Order: sequence, then structure tokens, then C-alpha cells
Amino acid sequence: MAEDGDLAGKAALITGAASGQGRAAAVLFATHGASIAIADIDDDGAHETAGMIRALSRDATVVHADVSCAHDCDAMVRATVDAFGAVDVLYNNAAVQMSGRVVDCTEEQWDLTIATNLNAIFWACRAAIPHMLAAGRGSIINTASTLGLIGSEGFAAYGAAKAGLVALTRQIAVEYGPTVRANVIAPGSIDTPRFRKVTEQLDDPDAFLRMLASTVPAGRLGQAGDVAEIALFLASDRSSYTSGAIIPCDGGLAALR
Amino acid sequence: MRRQRNQPREVSGVVVVTGGASGLGESIVHRFAADGYRVVVADLDEPRAQRVADNLTAAGHVVDAMTVDVTSEGEVAALFDAVGEGQRRLDALVCSAAIETRSSVVDCDDEQWQRVIDVNVKGPFLCMKHGIPVLARSGGGAVVLLGSVLGAMAAPGYAAYCTSKTALVNLAKQAAIEHAIDGVRVNVVSPSATDTGLFARIAAESGDPDGVRRMVAAGTPMGRLGRADEVSATVAFLCSPAAAFISGAVIPVDGAMAARRL
Repeated sequence: MAEDGDLAGKAALITGAASGQGRAAAVLFATHGASIAIADIDDDGAHETAGMIRALSRDATVVHADVSCAHDCDAMVRATVDAFGAVDVLYNNAAVQMSGRVVDCTEEQWDLTIATNLNAIFWACRAAIPHMLAAGRGSIINTASTLGLIGSEGFAAYGAAKAGLVALTRQIAVEYGPTVRANVIAPGSIDTPRFRKVTEQLDDPDAFLRMLASTVPAGRLGQAGDVAEIALFLASDRSSYTSGAIIPCDGGLAALR
Repeated sequence: MRRQRNQPREVSGVVVVTGGASGLGESIVHRFAADGYRVVVADLDEPRAQRVADNLTAAGHVVDAMTVDVTSEGEVAALFDAVGEGQRRLDALVCSAAIETRSSVVDCDDEQWQRVIDVNVKGPFLCMKHGIPVLARSGGGAVVLLGSVLGAMAAPGYAAYCTSKTALVNLAKQAAIEHAIDGVRVNVVSPSATDTGLFARIAAESGDPDGVRRMVAAGTPMGRLGRADEVSATVAFLCSPAAAFISGAVIPVDGAMAARRL
């Protein structure tokens, strides 16, 4: 069970925190005592999240970051350290999802997906780990996907990037083990505003959502809060001996596949 | 949380912990008691289970002891019948009872093999077979099976044990997908060496306990052994609403050991 103050005195950098899963985690982390750096490409949403955190009497700072650029990843880590003196938790949540089979996937789609979903995590970790080593503690949480664990038609670049970050996370876990923990959350289908925006373009969104839920052993889609609670566990000292793990948040989907 | 005289105590839920009289199981019992659960310590060792229950009860917790051989379907069925009738609900089941035997494939005799498979795999199977219906009738709940980092990698001299812990993982996935719809989640917590579990005994029997501990710690990316409270915190997390969408998962508590060896 979560204890209030789980993250008291810790500074967390969360990418993609302007909405959905990132925002849910930002608010939950702040509830448990963390100061939050919100990195996103969407400034309006980021400031809205910051307002929610300040309403909880916690510190928040907003960093405009396009994580597909190495420069922005370096800058967002620097901004977090400038604001809070440390980066104790790095939660790489930002991602893009574009579909396309191998043969149909354009070079632009491939490059953008790999840059945003894989390179970004390398850049952010490379920038944050020295600060964590200096502070003697750190927890990195990287967001993969069920599609990083299983094959799924039409997700060539996305699946490759997500599987790649799983390997990268294990690498960090074994290389910086005594000080820095690194773990993966692998969400299945999570019902977020952005997810709804995609499904709304379909002919019969409700039928699609029902079909999707029926493929999940639990019979429902996940909520942003389901993912945020796992991130909180991994960010906190409750998981102090867990590193290199892949924690699914998928209602049993990966176990089935 | 002290009980008011003549008032039924509010409990957070009811949990059965097999193998709860010693080792990691006992630590898990303490954690659930502290979290306000009514805890049923189910163990083969009756006096020890009773002692754990008595001590916690004296400290103001709600803990019962029940004797069970998890390899006997009759005894397991009786355990869950009693829990279902007595408590009228079950919120969590933790299968922690396990044994270890040291022998390679060629040296492992039939009896050793069968005993390890029975306690470590058939035990959790029987507990889920009879426990999941009670969990489902209670509106859902969580099952946590205690695996091992040796379920994810081979170790010389632990043929039956490694086999049993790997089998446990797929058994958990099977139960997870079959009973997700009943609101029952099934996950595995996969510790490496702690100073409390079966490893403590192996180290003690080795002749050089400190040397063995140092060697194992050095072989772990985090550079130290695990602690029982780190295992029980993970079990508690998986049984809480925070883990509502996690099922069929293996959560290592192993200082990144599996990440290096898979």
C-alpha cells in the first residue's frame, strides 16, 4: 500500500506529463511529496499539470522539450537539477505511436519513432545518471508497451523501439546497479484522452473499444491511474531491490500472448 | 490500531499465507498483520505457526494459525473451506511454502524430485484450485506465488528447484488469464537470495556463511543481498488496489540479477 510521503523530498522528471499517463503520475507523485519537472512538447498542457501540482502545495517546473532531440533531453535534465538540485526519479513516459508494417513504414516514420521512443530514453538516462550517481540514489522508469514484448501487425517501428528500450533498461540496471535502479512498465491498452482521440476517428469507436476490451483477460482497458500507481511503486523505496524488471500493466494481456 | 472492547475489529481484508510460520513467509505474515489484515498462517509446522499467530495476536493483530500440508488436496480443500466458512471472504492468497534440494540432473533421485515438484508446484496449484473460488466469491482478490530468480535462470546443482520455479511462472500466467474475468489477479514475486529465505539455510550449512553471502552479493548488480521486508513490500503492493491492472506478471526482487542472466 502506498504510504503518504513515499517520495518526500525527491525530485522527479516526467516526460510527456502534459496529459494522460504522464499527468496522472505527476499528480500522484506530488501527492506523495515529490517536486515535479514536467517535460513536454505541449506547453499549455504542461502548465495545466503544473497548476494541479501547485494546488497540492508542491513544487513544479515546466520544461519545453521535444524528446526526439538530444539537445532537449540534456536541457530538461539540467533544468530539473537547476530547479530542485537533483533528479532522483526519471520517468520516461513520452512516446509517439504510428502504425505501419515493415514494408509500408517510411524512413521518416521509422526515424521519428526510434528517436522519440528509444533514443530519447538513452539521451535522458545518459544525462541523468551522473546526477544520480553523485547523489547516491536514483530510480529510472521507462515506458515500454505490450507491443515491445510481442509481435503485432502494423507496429514495426514502435515494437522495435519499445523492445529496444527494454534491453537498454536492463543494461542500465546491471551497469549502475548499486546506486541507480532502472525498470520498465509495459502498459497494454490504456484509456487516455490521446487514445480516445485516435479511436474517435474510427467508424464505430464504441464497437472498437468493446472489441479491444474483450481481448484483455481482465475484460477492460487500463486507466492512467493504473500505470501511475506502478510508477509510484517503482519510484519509491518500496521497490528498493527491484531493478531490471518489466512490469506489465495490461490486465493479463502479455501472459496470454 | 487497538480493538474497542466488544466491537468487531475492522480488518483491511483476509489473507492466507502458506509457509507463513518461517522465513520469507513469516515476514509476509508480519507485513499483512501490520497493514491491518486478518492473516491466516497456514503451515505444515503446527507449533511454529501457532507461535507466530500467538505473538502477533498478543501484539494486537488478528492472526490465526492453521495446519496444512500443501501437497494434500484434502488438507488444502479443508483449509479453504474453513476460511470460506469462518471469514466468509478471502482477499489475498500468498503461496510461500517451498523446499529446496541440492542435486544435479544426474544425481537427483525420484524421491527428491517428486517432493520438490509436489511442494513447489503442486502445492500452489492445489491452493489456487481451492482458494480462487473463495477469492472470486469475495468479489475478486490477489494471488501471489513466491518464485525465485532461479525460475529465470539455471544454477548448477538445483535441477528440481529451478524446474519447479520455472513451472510456477507459467502456472501463474495460466491462472491469471483463466480467472482475470473473476477479478482474481495472479502474479509471481521472484526474489534472489535474502538473509531470511531458503538461502539463509544454505549459507549456514556451507561452512563459510559469510563467504557465501559475500560471493552472492558480489554477483548481484546491486552488490548486496535482498531483505525480507523488500520482498514483503512487493507482495503487499501486488495485493493492493494499486496493482489492479497487473496480472500474469513476474516481479523480480533480485537486485537486477535476472536482468544480467536471462
